[in-house]
Amino acid sequence: MDNIVRNKNKFFKNNVTKKKKNKETKTKKITEFWKKSSNPVKASLVLMGIGHLKYKCFYKAIIYFMVEALMITYMISRGIDDVIGFFTLGVVKADAWARIEGDDSIIMLLMGIFSFIVITLFVVIYIQCIKDAYRLQLDYENGKKCKTFKKFIADFFDTKFHVTALSLPVIGVCIFNVLPIVFMILIAFTNYGGTIVPPELIDWVGVKNFQKLLVLSKFGPTFAKILKWNLLWAVLSTTLNYFAGLGLALLLNKKCVKGKAFWRAFPVLAYAIPGFITLLAFKFLFSYGGPINQIIVAQGGKAIGFLDLDAKISSRIIGLFVNCWISVPSIMLLATGHLSNMDKTLFEAAKIDGAGRFARFWKLTMPFMLFSTMPVLLGQFIGNFNNFGIFYFLRGGLYNKGYFLASDTDLLINWLYNLSIDNNYYCIGAAISLVIFIITSAISLFIYVKSPSYREEDTFQ
Amino acid sequence: MKRKLVAMLLLSSMLLTTVGCAKKGESVNADKGKGAAVFDGKIEKNVTIHVLENDTAIEKGYFKELIEAFNEKYKSKGIKAVDANMDQHSDLAKDGPYGYGPDVIYQANDVIMKYAKGKHILPLPVEQFDCYKQVPKVAWKAYETKVDGKTYTCGVPVNVQAPMLYYRKDLLPADWKEKWDENKDNIPDMVQSWKKMYQFSVERHKEDSTKYGYMKSINDMYFTSGFLFSYGGYIFGKNNTDTSDVGLSAKNSAKGARVVNQLASVMNEDCIDDTITTNAYSKLGDGSYFSTISTPDVYSTFVEELEKNYTGMSKSEAEKKAKENLVMTTLPTLPASGDLTDNSTKEIACKSMGGVNAYAISSYTKAPNASLLFVKFATEYKMIQKRAEMLGIAPARKDVAEKVGGVSKQIYKNLDNNDIVLMPSISAVSQIWTPGQTFFTDIAKDAYRKDSEKKYKEIGDYQKGLKEMCKQIEDAITTLK
Repeated sequence: MDNIVRNKNKFFKNNVTKKKKNKETKTKKITEFWKKSSNPVKASLVLMGIGHLKYKCFYKAIIYFMVEALMITYMISRGIDDVIGFFTLGVVKADAWARIEGDDSIIMLLMGIFSFIVITLFVVIYIQCIKDAYRLQLDYENGKKCKTFKKFIADFFDTKFHVTALSLPVIGVCIFNVLPIVFMILIAFTNYGGTIVPPELIDWVGVKNFQKLLVLSKFGPTFAKILKWNLLWAVLSTTLNYFAGLGLALLLNKKCVKGKAFWRAFPVLAYAIPGFITLLAFKFLFSYGGPINQIIVAQGGKAIGFLDLDAKISSRIIGLFVNCWISVPSIMLLATGHLSNMDKTLFEAAKIDGAGRFARFWKLTMPFMLFSTMPVLLGQFIGNFNNFGIFYFLRGGLYNKGYFLASDTDLLINWLYNLSIDNNYYCIGAAISLVIFIITSAISLFIYVKSPSYREEDTFQ
Repeated sequence: MKRKLVAMLLLSSMLLTTVGCAKKGESVNADKGKGAAVFDGKIEKNVTIHVLENDTAIEKGYFKELIEAFNEKYKSKGIKAVDANMDQHSDLAKDGPYGYGPDVIYQANDVIMKYAKGKHILPLPVEQFDCYKQVPKVAWKAYETKVDGKTYTCGVPVNVQAPMLYYRKDLLPADWKEKWDENKDNIPDMVQSWKKMYQFSVERHKEDSTKYGYMKSINDMYFTSGFLFSYGGYIFGKNNTDTSDVGLSAKNSAKGARVVNQLASVMNEDCIDDTITTNAYSKLGDGSYFSTISTPDVYSTFVEELEKNYTGMSKSEAEKKAKENLVMTTLPTLPASGDLTDNSTKEIACKSMGGVNAYAISSYTKAPNASLLFVKFATEYKMIQKRAEMLGIAPARKDVAEKVGGVSKQIYKNLDNNDIVLMPSISAVSQIWTPGQTFFTDIAKDAYRKDSEKKYKEIGDYQKGLKEMCKQIEDAITTLK
């Protein structure tokens, strides 16, 4: 234990020293640049490409010039407005009757984020331009000439091919991935939703939505209850699905089982049917007019409300098993594949050494399976934590006493849906999404770092 | 020299773009605040109007006839109406400002008036319409909105939607004229009074445990809330505009809740969830159910299901027989006492929730005057009469309702008498459905709980339950404001 603490302290100490050293080197480099760089290179700080022009690298001068010209064009045409719009979120309210176009806060927020992405990309190119101009100066002083345009282009298909291959995807990721995620995160800090939807203007409200979630008497207790059930649901369903899938795979892997392919086809069939159809079928199965209740009534019994208002435990258990029905086949298929890669001699050796079936499972099968399936297991955990369909289809349209716009089987994602889609309360929905993200990412990260997949990476290689 | 030339060129190009951008920026700002008169009477020529109609009107060919007649009349002016044919961009609030969406929309009042708040639909000069005096005030009221103290009307009512009682004439007892027609008006008592329907349901189930009298999923707020309205309940105060006053527990509405519970007790557990909503067509068809409640637009579905049960005859014979035996009528009366089991004779009208469908014009249309022309044409006597004949709808126009007669006339009368409570035309109405559904589920479930577990024993218990439901709705409205 002392050893670990000592190592930890040493690690942090080294890290701090390293950071300090890096900062000093950077300052040193900037001072050196300022002292040694020529005037045209310094002029590049204002007008990109001047340094390149001085050192006869005309094509780069044109490219950098164009970039700056485009940037100025963009900033004047809409960039400055977009940046200002990001902070104000609009000042003129639209009025369709008076034909007043007005400001659309949501578009302004989106375009504001976009402008920050453009500015960031420009800053990266700007720094690159200055560095490149300074490097050209040094090369020039050492008698080296700038590359020809042909060579410059050829490099992008050779030594700099990674730049060619990745630049478009990076831009795509920024626009189609980063932008919507940042947009969603920022919505959590606005009052967007309820009656405040365009043409009304939206405002920044800071962390008020998170305060509402935790403090407001309507949200707080419901949030706490749903979060508790959500965590329990995620752990239970992931464990149940994993062990049921693994158990099924082990069973169908047994030598004594005949017609393995035939038996494996059944879970695969269940897997192939779209999830929502399965869920609606189960809803009908357990409804008052469904076959289960019909059998019960035909046998002289009384119909049972498996999923109705009073059915807290039974609906939760049904939810767990229905989820199992949908998810087990994928785990079974995954486990079947991994089990076929296991070293059979280990089992034979263990058997000779007197290890029983249970011991062989816990000491050999489980560590191997956990090692190879941990990332999938984490994926399952997150999928189950955010499993919207199960209770939406099985038991939607009920609000329980003591819950605000939710029922006792709703997960956070269902509550989020009730608030943001059914009731247009987007800002609270976004705040809940952020909380879900923080919880799932923290748990996933913690489990992954502690898992053999991360700690004992070389064990099974 | 070469370098200087390149530098000059680059600098000048940069300055040029800068100047160009500055001009564009100014024009953007100048656009803001520009106003325009909308209905100035100047009909836009050579325009195409995109009309979003309802699916039944399209399927049954009425919409085709409507646009063909309109296009023929205004051919010389170059105005053409077409099917908007859009599922994706039918939301005016989301898509309208960006230039998508229809020019003319046909929808129920709660949907249309949702758009009025954000001014996504235009206020219409309704006094100019020939239907103005024919449509009852209550229907116009459903399309009124107040802006800066002034009242505007944003839709032209076309038809009324209200729950109707469907029953099978051929399932009446053979001696119904002696036993079930006390007032000798040749109409069975059980379709005139809920008290008699309750008694008949008990008897029918007693004779054969697989057969029932009245069956309906109780959890359906749209159909069940009428029982609360009949005893003084209402949705929102001040003509359904004051969301701070949720009145579903007002006056004697608890009596209505008790009636619902009593009706649930003569059904089976299927009434707790939406089982009956799904199987009512087939069960009424096979004779398991004697009656149910639904809207007039599903009449043909009931007929089709009934036809399937008439075997050994031609399709046309089966259809004729089905139409003869399936009766659609207005809702029975309720006992003033609010108890289906007592002997009192005083009856009150059974109110129901309803809606008025209307035409409205998008604020983002490029041809408001031509769109107005279309709405005027579509709401004229001739077209509404054709609509009623082809689709079986209950018209909102008095003259057409009288001409068509029958149930249409009765629905019009109910609307005029305020026995049809129109769905509120404000967005807060979305908060009533799930709490209402939960409450009615609980009421229905209570009929099947053991005596020791029953929640609703006294009238006060219903009142308490209703108050809780109202509180839930109020909380949702105030929190989400």
